[in-house]
Amino acid sequence: MIELHDVWRQYHMGDETINALAGIDLDIDKGEFVSITGPSGSGKSTLLNIIGGLDSPTKGSVVVDGQDLSKASDRELSIYRNKKAGFVFQTFNLQPTYTALENVALPLVFARVPLKKRNEIARDALATVELTERMGHTPGELSGGERQRAAIARALVNDPKILLADEPTGNLDSRTSNLIVELLIRLSHERGITLLLVTHDMRIAENANRVVHMLDGRISGAPDKKVAT
Amino acid sequence: MTIADLLRSAFSNLRRRKLRSFLTIFAVVIGAGLVSLLVSLGIGAQEFLTAQIRATMPPDVLIVGSNPNAFQIGFGGMGFGGSPQELSEDESSPYSLSPLTLEEIDSVRNLEHVERVDPYIMVSADSVRLQNSEKRFRAQLSALPDYIIRNKELVAGQYLDDYSQGGCIIANQYLESFGLEQAEDAVGQELVIQVGQMTSFIGLPTKTKDYNFEIVGVAEKTLSSTQVMISLTDGKEIARFWANAPDLYTDEIPPALLQVKVEDSQYAEQVAGAIEGYELGALTSADVLGLVGNIFGIIQAVLSVFGLIALGVASLGIINTLIMAIYERTREIGVMKAVGASQRTIRLLFTIEGGVIGLLGGIIGVAIAYGLGFIINHVSHTTFLEDFETFDISLFPWWLVAGVIALSTLIALLAALYPAHRASKLNPIDALRYE
Repeated sequence: MIELHDVWRQYHMGDETINALAGIDLDIDKGEFVSITGPSGSGKSTLLNIIGGLDSPTKGSVVVDGQDLSKASDRELSIYRNKKAGFVFQTFNLQPTYTALENVALPLVFARVPLKKRNEIARDALATVELTERMGHTPGELSGGERQRAAIARALVNDPKILLADEPTGNLDSRTSNLIVELLIRLSHERGITLLLVTHDMRIAENANRVVHMLDGRISGAPDKKVAT
Repeated sequence: MTIADLLRSAFSNLRRRKLRSFLTIFAVVIGAGLVSLLVSLGIGAQEFLTAQIRATMPPDVLIVGSNPNAFQIGFGGMGFGGSPQELSEDESSPYSLSPLTLEEIDSVRNLEHVERVDPYIMVSADSVRLQNSEKRFRAQLSALPDYIIRNKELVAGQYLDDYSQGGCIIANQYLESFGLEQAEDAVGQELVIQVGQMTSFIGLPTKTKDYNFEIVGVAEKTLSSTQVMISLTDGKEIARFWANAPDLYTDEIPPALLQVKVEDSQYAEQVAGAIEGYELGALTSADVLGLVGNIFGIIQAVLSVFGLIALGVASLGIINTLIMAIYERTREIGVMKAVGASQRTIRLLFTIEGGVIGLLGGIIGVAIAYGLGFIINHVSHTTFLEDFETFDISLFPWWLVAGVIALSTLIALLAALYPAHRASKLNPIDALRYE
């Protein structure tokens, strides 16, 4: 499903070259739940962004569902992000002036789904995260947990093949965090979606089929921990 | 993203920052309003002058002169602004005319599509007065074929035909000069037209003669405020005295200028071409109107510059507003990219937003200008244009409305290109991290 081969991501700061990713090789199967852990600056988010088509590798190949993202054009990447990848962010990244329904429907706007149809689909997506009652509210009127549920509904609204969650519980209390993680795991499992979850929290990471630990832009030498689901 | 969604998004974003959107649109309103109002005034004045010219020179009438250069219209020919025009060896002054030959007149008369040919009679009157009054007034005496007289609207009395004798039609403005309340009061009154011989123009000893006419009609008000119209028959007689040439307009001294009526205005250019083929000069209504059009084109262009400058300044406002919007919405742009917006979509979003500012500004600007034009027309009809009820000084043809709205939209779209490009190039990761 996801194949990364010798993936590098370099940034230049003056004369200095920083290797955010330094030769990553990683294969992830369809429907697999993989946690990515590691200290700050280890390259977790960069790896997630590259798999999600938000960033491009300096060198190496990234193939997702048969599509080589390293060679894709802006248009191809935008379609990929719209149809195949769903993002959940730590800071929710909901449009502040949109209602929950409008936020969830946003990917469908770029997929050119007609207004009536997309509202219907977005309503169903909100129902799966039990947010139907709050669909007319803007993010400012929602709690942290509700915002993240709306963000999950938005990530899933276009039936993606992979779900990329970058510290999705970082801004939530522990009780809400557990609920959100459970929701992510349940929905991706039910729909056969590959779930990649970046987290600092080992308790959350241990829920995954596999834990990928990163350090200094590399996957660290320790064997991946397999956890039964 | 569909066009409907792009428009919905543009309107929604403009609503979010109401004051800023209003001020940006207002700048476009001023530009679009200025352009449309000033051009509408130019069009109104041009239409008015055109109507006046058409009344004396209908589109199916040509003036023919014995000198092929007689009607060299243009700024150069008029000795006004253009470069002096070079004359060839056999070319005479454009202002010197000799009588046409009878053969030339016959050639013109026998041309295909020519309906009738009349001498163009040059006459002049020193003054006019009512017979029972000593008050004399200036007058512009015109001896016209009956089909041209019938182009004028009368408010009282009747028209003249070519063979009428002793009847005249006076300009409406004479009613006030003569102290008459009703146009009908003028009809039947005796008018004395005093004619001095043309040598008086250069100060030579001259004779004057009084001609008695009966007022048979009063014309509607036009710019020709001192015109007194008489028939061709009377015109010939007065012209002979005026020019001190008893044989003028006979086979001995044929006219130097002709008025040629063609069957339909569509043949005017064709007949003019044929006449020029006989080495004669020909002037059509279109030639005169073309010159008027050129002059008004320049006036309108100069007036439009003010509005265009305002639109140019407004476009800077649009650029500023959209760049501000990019800073405010950086994170939103990042989110849109994360969920599937391409660079092209983001570019379109901002371009359309600029276009909507231009479109709204254009529509509101033209609407306000239309309203002001309506007020100007109303005020002018009750004041300085009281006598010209049918004349609107501000005119808004459909092409002006559509053109100004299209222009302001286009300028706004162009202004939006740079901000839109900048927004589209935002790195989604940087945009998502933007605080």
